[in-house]
Amino acid sequence: MASKQVPLIETVDLRKSYFSEELETAVLHGLNLTINEEEFVSIMGPSGSGKSTLMHILGFLDQPTSGKYLFRGEATRTMTDDELAAIRATRVSFVFQAFNLLPRTTVLENVMLPLLYHPTIPASERRDRAMHAIETVGLGDRATYYTNQLSGGQQQRTAIARALVTEPDVIFADEPTGNLDSKSGNQVMEAIQELHAAGGRTIILVTHEQNTAQHAKRIIHLRDGHIDSDTTKFKRLNAKKNHNLTK
Amino acid sequence: MLYSDIYQTAKSAILAHRMRSLLTMLGIIIGVGSTVLMVSVGRSFERYILDQVESFSSHLIEVYPTGFEKFGRSTDSLTFSDYEAVKKLSTVESVAPVIFVTEKVVYGTEEVSPYVFGTTKEFFNNYSLKVEDGRILNDADVSGARSVAVLAAQAAEDLFGDKNPVGERIRVGERFYTVVGVMQSLGSALLQDLDTPVYVPFTTARAQTGQKFLSYMSMKSTIDDDALAMADITSLLRQRHSIENPDNDYDKDDFRARSAAQATEIVGTVGLGLTAFIGLIAGISLVVGGIGIMNIMLVSVSERTREIGLRKAVGATRQDILRQFLMEAVSLTLLGGIIGIIGGASIGALLAAIASKFIGHVPFVLSIPALIAAVSMALGTGLVFGLYPARKAAEKSPMEAIRWEG
Repeated sequence: MASKQVPLIETVDLRKSYFSEELETAVLHGLNLTINEEEFVSIMGPSGSGKSTLMHILGFLDQPTSGKYLFRGEATRTMTDDELAAIRATRVSFVFQAFNLLPRTTVLENVMLPLLYHPTIPASERRDRAMHAIETVGLGDRATYYTNQLSGGQQQRTAIARALVTEPDVIFADEPTGNLDSKSGNQVMEAIQELHAAGGRTIILVTHEQNTAQHAKRIIHLRDGHIDSDTTKFKRLNAKKNHNLTK
Repeated sequence: MLYSDIYQTAKSAILAHRMRSLLTMLGIIIGVGSTVLMVSVGRSFERYILDQVESFSSHLIEVYPTGFEKFGRSTDSLTFSDYEAVKKLSTVESVAPVIFVTEKVVYGTEEVSPYVFGTTKEFFNNYSLKVEDGRILNDADVSGARSVAVLAAQAAEDLFGDKNPVGERIRVGERFYTVVGVMQSLGSALLQDLDTPVYVPFTTARAQTGQKFLSYMSMKSTIDDDALAMADITSLLRQRHSIENPDNDYDKDDFRARSAAQATEIVGTVGLGLTAFIGLIAGISLVVGGIGIMNIMLVSVSERTREIGLRKAVGATRQDILRQFLMEAVSLTLLGGIIGIIGGASIGALLAAIASKFIGHVPFVLSIPALIAAVSMALGTGLVFGLYPARKAAEKSPMEAIRWEG
């Protein structure tokens, strides 16, 4: 298999259970999923469907209980804490529902934060890279503002700039419009869309809102820890659960 | 993560929570501040005492009969010819014999009971006593056994009040003396005893009391090492008193030589013990301060759970978080230590200045080793008590970032 065809993300029988006392609660029941580079995927599902858990595992915030997770063909289950941290620093980044900006700091400082932990980007380039990311999301004139001086939409765009600044392979957006009114929400989704249109990035959007999910080309529905459907627009394909079209 | 980044991160966290940072530092500020204050007060007074002692007694050696300090031993051991022999030693100069006259001193209706020293002019030289009015005793007074007296400042005031004593006649026991001089006051709380005596010629005192032995001798050594001069005196007197004492067992001697240098050593030893004691208290207060730091750092860590989660989500390793929180703890203790030093030293300098107004010049001594010890203990406290909260922070999961609610 040529390296070009190695999928960015591949899971095989991915399972996740939570344990409290003696009780085991299975959240993911063996997911098989493949996501290629430069895809724009929405993961949808009602609460409790396991979509957040799936995102945490794919984003290296959490580890699966069993099954395989291959990132660029590389098994991740045996990675150490530091290796996972290095992947989070360089390969993936997040846009959270609650923005998660540091309080009492400026837009620029927030966007520079991931670069502190980046193993290869030199300190001297941080400011330029951060400013570039801030301009990309249209906040160039707000770089020195404190984040509490910004509107919700501007705060989320700051978070998007922060996600961009390390030039990751994948950006995970977890209900990015959940805390916003529809106008700001649309602006944020436009920013994410532009990001994808610019190329080179895989975007995985987790949401329960149909409107938001529609921005993606491919929509995966989860239900009770299974893949309920996996649809790609334009091709109008509809596959039943546990089937994988791109395979 | 670069160390400069860790430092910057810690700095902004400290500045972002000024009140909490101040409260965190308070224990250290007080601990270090009070240590520096106490040590500097202790060292300043030690210096003050040493200055006082050294001002009148450099190379001073006193030789006492053993009975002077030991009950049941005779005070009859030092003779006039011992004095003549000691005077010939090359290692000593300015030898003064002393005979105490234990009589009341009377002028008009005033009566005092001072030490009356029968001595020579060398005595005034040995203790650096300065004349205020008239003159000190001279050789002619001694050789002629004249009935003249010199009053120390306090004795003059007690007997004469504001009146000038020079030329007046006082009575010591049954004998009348003409006052020929008044000494300057030494103006020091510590040296009050030297402001009270009445001095008469050695020969006159001997005639009045019938004493054949000396109460004591004072002298100055001519060489830098007082111990060598003392060895000379000791071997001379042992030889003259026919004492075999090769082991230097002082109980066998009937006299005892002492130097002011030994006295200053004792002051130094006491000072050292005091400093060690203060150090112990300081150590305890720093431990208490450290526990305070740990408490507030633990609160800080749990308050900042989501910040830590976010940092981990964007790529921070355990080490990064551990170092950040350790750096915060150490920066806080170091800053607290510096504030404590400035505060403690300022109050110490102020106290020294105030004390100088009452008891003569008190030098302000800032002990550099104490400062270094205080700062390193503060740093150590930060490291030790910051480690546990920092480890707790480092163990936080990046998942915590997800539970963020703004």
